[in-house]
Amino acid sequence: MTEQRGGRRGADEKLQRMLALVPWVAARDGPTLAEVCERFGCTEADLLSDLDRLFMCGLYPYTPDVLIEVDVADGRVWIRYADYFSRPLRLTPAEGLALLAAGKAVQSFPGADQAGPLARGLARLARTLGVAGDDALDVALAAVPEDVMKTLRTAVDDRRQVELDYYSFGRDEDTRRVVDPYAVFSAGGQWYLSAHCHAVADDRLFRVDRVRAARLLETAVQHSEGSVASAVYRARADDPRVTVELARAARWVAEQYPVETSKELRGGRLRVTLAISERAWLERLLLRLGPDGRVSKTSDPALADAGREAARRLLRRYRSGGR
Amino acid sequence: MDRLERLINLTAALLDAERPLTADELHQRLPGYADSVQAFRRAFERDKDVLREMGVPLVLEPVDPMSQPGVEGYRIPKDEYYLHDPGLDPDELAALHLAASAVELEGADGVEALWKLGGWVAEGGPPPAMAALPGAVHLSTAFAAISRRQPVTFTYRGGERRVDPWRLAFRNGHWYLLGRDHDRNAERNFRLDRVESDIVPDEAAPSFEPPPDASAPAAPWQMGDEEPVRARLLVDADHAGWAVGQVGQDAVERREDDGSVVLGVTVTNRSAFRSFVLGFLDHAEVLDPPELRDDLISWLEELCGA
Repeated sequence: MTEQRGGRRGADEKLQRMLALVPWVAARDGPTLAEVCERFGCTEADLLSDLDRLFMCGLYPYTPDVLIEVDVADGRVWIRYADYFSRPLRLTPAEGLALLAAGKAVQSFPGADQAGPLARGLARLARTLGVAGDDALDVALAAVPEDVMKTLRTAVDDRRQVELDYYSFGRDEDTRRVVDPYAVFSAGGQWYLSAHCHAVADDRLFRVDRVRAARLLETAVQHSEGSVASAVYRARADDPRVTVELARAARWVAEQYPVETSKELRGGRLRVTLAISERAWLERLLLRLGPDGRVSKTSDPALADAGREAARRLLRRYRSGGR
Repeated sequence: MDRLERLINLTAALLDAERPLTADELHQRLPGYADSVQAFRRAFERDKDVLREMGVPLVLEPVDPMSQPGVEGYRIPKDEYYLHDPGLDPDELAALHLAASAVELEGADGVEALWKLGGWVAEGGPPPAMAALPGAVHLSTAFAAISRRQPVTFTYRGGERRVDPWRLAFRNGHWYLLGRDHDRNAERNFRLDRVESDIVPDEAAPSFEPPPDASAPAAPWQMGDEEPVRARLLVDADHAGWAVGQVGQDAVERREDDGSVVLGVTVTNRSAFRSFVLGFLDHAEVLDPPELRDDLISWLEELCGA
């Protein structure tokens, strides 16, 4: 079963490539095999083997006069008598979407050119797909300061250290640290910097929107190996554990955060255990959940009232007069 | 005769056909199918699936209702098969290539699309950065309905919705469908991962005309269908830069000497707005309207009392 499906996908990809490649070659006077391979992403051996089969294709009754003509000579290829394949297959909605979304995402990169060839290409593509380019699809990645982004990219490219003023969301405080940057990338709409952080002597993932300032240093990086995966948040054995009872409306917590244990309760309620490395993170979660989340157990007594204490702090601000 | 040859021949035969060809005719004419009718049927069914999955518009029509009533055959309408060439200039194709290599939309692939547009062109240097966009189950169905201007129906928050789909927007890590909700006769946003059924296009409905200036709202607190209310939020200096990045410069109503800012935003999703405000902990404060300020205060009081 699996084998059959794998085989079919293989034929699909070859067929897709042939149906795109034939019109392109047929419209030209003998492009080189090398160029065809580069454009359509295949090896010369694959291309020649596929062309061998194309040579056997055509129309009923498959006599030589109605077969597609394929000539390969001097490293060039000609295809004739394939008028019904004069144009490629139209784009499927999924293909058009993938290409438009990619283009729109790049336009949302900080400092992207809004009027260049990409914008013109997207507008033409959108028209072909029957949509108005700027109205049908809109991709916005998180807003990040252009200067910070530029500094981080330069640091990655030149393999230089960079000093960050970074807002630690978990601890609700500003920090300053020197890092060896690995890569800048976007995932799930956010921008991240993966780097070796010298303040903690470990790999870390930084949200670029929380970098308040980045200064390029003259010093070269000391670490250039590091994987994004190793920089993603991991619970430590000695992190306090907090058990929270979630109402049905707050079950998203279990999907969005790494919960260590999860138990179904009556009425769609859920009891989850979370490792808490930073108090401010728990405060935000509890403030947001309100009546839908209740701390039922904690390994660190200081965290038992985290939500209530944070709420009191906020209320003090509201009661001190407002403006 | 292998599968690739057979599929190319089948596509060629159906594209070239002047009238629909019956399954029997295809069996007789095309090399590469087994003689046994049963084996042919099985192989032909699989081939049709392959072509349809690739987006080949394979139609089944009466061959000739007058002389052969009830007999149906297959063909591929050329006008539906052939790509309308967007006429991309080389630099435009290169820019799209670069974008496709920089951005990965989960569950979709821009490679086949680029083949059809003339293949990959290695120009323009390495991509400026890499980005991964999450996919969503109904993304391409919704996009197809937008391009065909077909109303769609689906279940959302337990209710049946009928919507003219105008646009897709990726915001705050989620895909949204924006359009006119027929029952409410108003513009609404739907988070695609919260759609509880398939999105079903209404093929029979007349196509709608999208408004010329449909614009996607930018923020989670606008991703809702509540009565709009204008809110003003004071954010302390340390967090002002980030906050302005989130809401945009246009939302800045006032900058104080101490570096703090007053932001004005329109809210149609009160709980999302509350979450946004609470994310600042005690570094921000809702100034007005009293309705939202009081909401937040009683939310906090309830937490204290609990």
